[in-house]
Amino acid sequence: MRPLRVLLLLVALLASSPIRAEILIVTSSRSGPIELTRDQAEKLYLGRSSTFSDGTPASLVDLPNGQVRDEFYLKLTGKNPAQIQAYWSRLVFTGRALPPKEARSLAEARQWLTDTPNLIGYLDRNEPTTGMRILLRLP
Amino acid sequence: MRSIAAHRLHLGLVASLLLTNAHASDVPSPFSLSGFGTVGAVRTDKDNRMFRSSTEQVSGAGTDFDSSVDSVLGVQASLILSNALDLTVQSVVRKGVADSYSPQLTWGFLRFQAMPEIVVRAGRMRTPFFMYSDSLNLNYATPWVRPPVEVYSLNPFADLNGVDALYRAPIGATDLELHVYGGQSSLDIRNGGGKLQAVRGVKAALSISSLTLQAGYARSNLSIHWGDPMFTSLNNHLIASGNDAIARDLSGDDSKGTFLSAGFQYDSDRLLMIGEYARRTVDRYTVSAAGWYFTAGYRFNSLTPYMTVARQTQTAPVTTKQSGIAPIDSLLSLFNAMRNKSQDSMAIGARWDVTRNVAIKTQLERIHPGPGGLGIFVNDNFRDVVDPGGPVHVFSISADFVF
Repeated sequence: MRPLRVLLLLVALLASSPIRAEILIVTSSRSGPIELTRDQAEKLYLGRSSTFSDGTPASLVDLPNGQVRDEFYLKLTGKNPAQIQAYWSRLVFTGRALPPKEARSLAEARQWLTDTPNLIGYLDRNEPTTGMRILLRLP
Repeated sequence: MRSIAAHRLHLGLVASLLLTNAHASDVPSPFSLSGFGTVGAVRTDKDNRMFRSSTEQVSGAGTDFDSSVDSVLGVQASLILSNALDLTVQSVVRKGVADSYSPQLTWGFLRFQAMPEIVVRAGRMRTPFFMYSDSLNLNYATPWVRPPVEVYSLNPFADLNGVDALYRAPIGATDLELHVYGGQSSLDIRNGGGKLQAVRGVKAALSISSLTLQAGYARSNLSIHWGDPMFTSLNNHLIASGNDAIARDLSGDDSKGTFLSAGFQYDSDRLLMIGEYARRTVDRYTVSAAGWYFTAGYRFNSLTPYMTVARQTQTAPVTTKQSGIAPIDSLLSLFNAMRNKSQDSMAIGARWDVTRNVAIKTQLERIHPGPGGLGIFVNDNFRDVVDPGGPVHVFSISADFVF
């Protein structure tokens, strides 16, 4: 009984661990016909571009500091939390780009991503995406 | 009746404002506030060599820990006005010109996204002459305690009032950024002032995965009016002895200046390398000089030890003319030496990323001032400038943060 419970606990931990989870890049289903390649997503989240491929201005959402956010940047840009913080602070404090809007909670991020057109953000694969469209999957 | 209507209108306005506010949590706010700063302490091993982080500071750190040299606080606010237009204002407090702590407007511009690849900005910006010139106060973004003074003291003019355009385009796997700018810059000096007018410059940066290459060139008209007692005395002597031609080399409104820089940054998972060469050339009023540095670091998780070598060399003094009158020429050579910031240095240090917004850094430098001047150091006995002596050790510790 006891080893089984330990095993179940381990499986549950691994399954819920965001480290391994796929991350989804999403937008509101009210957005226009946006398409997004991985390369474009990387450019947007590195402040190297501020529009979608058709020229529509893009706005970005960041989740509050935490594992999903760190995992997202590592997967998309290859930069760890300290590197991405240093990179973005240089862009912001030299007036090159406005940073992604940081939501105060996951719930707020979900609300924005459901309601606001042409806003993109990222969520853990296990999050419901009602009212949103999945643009890209980061395995 | 009228007043009731006005009252209703007022209530309606308040209600609609409240509603707008309540609605604002459903969409991201167009307003953002952020900031950065450094709390730092520095000491040296010689009380007659006071270390400064910029040539504008009048006093520096001696053998007691001094927190005024590197400490800085910056606050920035941005407002999105439309899809294509936003406003940014940044103010910084730190010990600057003549040791004043008055808050400086470091950025204050309107940014217009003219085309997907082109951004145009107008207002108060930073002179982007060298690689890190537009982020000199933002120590959090670099491995060092402060940007190497051998290069960054070559331009004391930090503000640019004018316009610029940034063009950003991918060329295959490389990312190109072209930056053109123009404007004017002023600098207060004790009882005097400096001015760059008709500044026009261009900067290009190429990023290829972990490597960024950067080069810049700028020209401008330069005015400097010195106002210190030593200059005033020298100037009076020159004019009284009929040496107006020499006086016209020391101070006035008729010089040109050029600023040139080439550098690279290599920032992979582990290895970090930064190098830059920069040069200031002027016709008169101050010295022409060149500087360079090279930094190599290695990341062990959150700890990044690094080493830096750097040098500044004078390429031309303020004036090479002589009056033939011994006491005047002696003052003249002193005047030249006081503006000579030549020095070379070696440093070891480490950056520790404590949490995601805070980095603690420490650095030990061995700086050789001279030849021909005291480098970045100051001393009460200004005649020391002709006899800089041996190396000075500078120890710094700081905490950088962003919020």
